[in-house]
Amino acid sequence: MLDRQNYLKVKLFLKYSRLVHGRSSLQISNDYEHLKSLLLWAGSQPLSSAHAFNTSLTDFLFQNVEKGLDQAELQSLLNTNQRFLLWVKAMFPVEFQNIRLSWIIKISAISEGKEVII
Amino acid sequence: MSENQNSSNCRISRNVLIKAPGLLPMLYTPREIAEDLGVPETTLRDWLNHGAPHSRDESNHIWIDGKQFAAWVDNQRNAKKKPTHPLQAGEGFCMRCNAIVKIQNSEIRPVKGHLSHLKGKCPICGGIVNRGIWNAGSSELPQG
Repeated sequence: MLDRQNYLKVKLFLKYSRLVHGRSSLQISNDYEHLKSLLLWAGSQPLSSAHAFNTSLTDFLFQNVEKGLDQAELQSLLNTNQRFLLWVKAMFPVEFQNIRLSWIIKISAISEGKEVII
Repeated sequence: MSENQNSSNCRISRNVLIKAPGLLPMLYTPREIAEDLGVPETTLRDWLNHGAPHSRDESNHIWIDGKQFAAWVDNQRNAKKKPTHPLQAGEGFCMRCNAIVKIQNSEIRPVKGHLSHLKGKCPICGGIVNRGIWNAGSSELPQG
């Protein structure tokens, strides 16, 4: 079972994106699809301890979720996840104080030497 | 505590059939799942009354497991499919009896190319039964 608090934060982020940034319903729908992989990666653990997970997000995506994605889509997915984590750190500074900005910035970089499955 | 009431079929829209496999393996409230599937909450609660899997906690709040719900939606789709009965060799559909019957006294006449016409009598009502067949003698009907 996935952590409900993570799911609620994702929903809050999508609502914020729609109301504040004026993202369209199609963009919101795409963002939600991208963030589902983050929720699956976190599993039952809170995202506030994401930096301590055994598997990195990119490795998880390569192993489990995004088989059949091209590099552009994968990059877009990682960018959405990075945007979400930056937002969540800003909105919940105490809960996410252990997550460093440098760690979030590194998320969207696909590790060198990784093969992208097309 | 799990609840299962009537298990009659529900009308599930195509949109829901497409979106349901995307539900996450977690507990949703009825409002959340209705929002994710793009249906009114009342429709979802109607499905719960018709046997969609859900549970209630000690405060009597309803919780729906996303994966179980997706499996239920898939079952609903499969339940709607009517069983088919391909015609076997020597069988035809009697329009008078409105049933599949074994054709008696059958005659085969070539029509054109591989297509032939099989004509015979219904063993129940005695009416004429017609059937088109590929390659006289074969049991195959032209598909489509």
